[in-house]
Amino acid sequence: MLVEIRNVSKTYESEATKIQVLDSINFSVEDNDFVCIVGPSGCGKSTLLRIIVGLEKPTSGEVIFKGKNSNPKVAMVFQNFALFPWLSVKENIELVLESLHQQEKEREAIACKYIKAVGLDGFERAYPGELSGGMKQRVGFARALAVEPVLLCMDEPFSSLDALTAQNLKDELLLLWGDPNMPPDAVIMVTHNVEEAVYLANRIIILSQRPGKIIADLRIELERPRNRKDPEFYRWVDKVYSLIV
Amino acid sequence: MDMVFPKATISEIIGLLEAVNDAGGIEDAARLAADFDLELDEILPSIDGAELLGFVSVNNGNIELTQDARKLLDAGIRERKKIMRDKVAGVHIIKELKEKLMKSQEHRMSKSETLRFLQKRISTSDIESYFRIIINWARHAGLLHYNSDHEEICLMADV
Repeated sequence: MLVEIRNVSKTYESEATKIQVLDSINFSVEDNDFVCIVGPSGCGKSTLLRIIVGLEKPTSGEVIFKGKNSNPKVAMVFQNFALFPWLSVKENIELVLESLHQQEKEREAIACKYIKAVGLDGFERAYPGELSGGMKQRVGFARALAVEPVLLCMDEPFSSLDALTAQNLKDELLLLWGDPNMPPDAVIMVTHNVEEAVYLANRIIILSQRPGKIIADLRIELERPRNRKDPEFYRWVDKVYSLIV
Repeated sequence: MDMVFPKATISEIIGLLEAVNDAGGIEDAARLAADFDLELDEILPSIDGAELLGFVSVNNGNIELTQDARKLLDAGIRERKKIMRDKVAGVHIIKELKEKLMKSQEHRMSKSETLRFLQKRISTSDIESYFRIIINWARHAGLLHYNSDHEEICLMADV
């Protein structure tokens, strides 16, 4: 078992108010799982992802990685890319490698490997401002893969992109995911887009309205490559929608 | 000579090809736009771009994938890049730009000179955005490099 989310709850408290956003979340993720977490807006799905990554602490419960409390290599891809505009593509990637690799040459080699893997070669010295949204998110992917994570977490990675670019990046993500030479071992992705979840995931976890509770955990038994025009694909989309509404 | 150049990124063009492929390799442009909740004029640049690169043929509003498009879609990311390189290298305005760079000192050209070069060929009041699109096509294809600190383009070493 790669990661286990045990009884995780989260409540935000201020002097006047107390808002519970997550209520007793329990699930585990195995190697080769591509999990999408879906649910209505405000159900706490992004908060759950931030807790898994370690960016927030749960009010109660815990996240266990391979039987331990310590966090292995986990990487995050953000909706808004989160790139430093004053650093080039290569420098943005090298920066996250500074704590992992002492040697500059080693950092450079790893950055170049993942720039190539996502098809960004030619843009190594470009600044984010010179890139289209699709290219920026490719940098986001390359930066996340460069730490060679065991678990890759993604928070709405396609929702800032135009529809056609998002289509292209989803397929490229699946090409990377299908490549045995590429990290990670598992993916957890948060999305509000049900079609996107059915297209990408082999497992969908559905959260209820706030406070978010798991109301379904489905294995998507659709062969790959999936076709969005396939009636069977739409049966799955309908099924997930019917559980959310 | 004034020409029209499609204002579409390589990602948008491949996204369009993937959508046509899902529809069985041929799809009506209006239906495709509706599938993406877009207006027809919002996907036209991507259709024009795909046609310019030889990935689709367009007849009576139907967009049909070519063999090259199927080859691209069946390929991995590295192979796609190679196919795209050959296609972009064959685009007339990029060929002309490359030839001009070959004749330029150190195979370099300033951004302002490049803008003038493009302005002579593309009829638009917004040549900056065409510069961005064309340079990004050429960079994606590994044909050119752009240094934004020095605002100059140059040929890639092995081109």
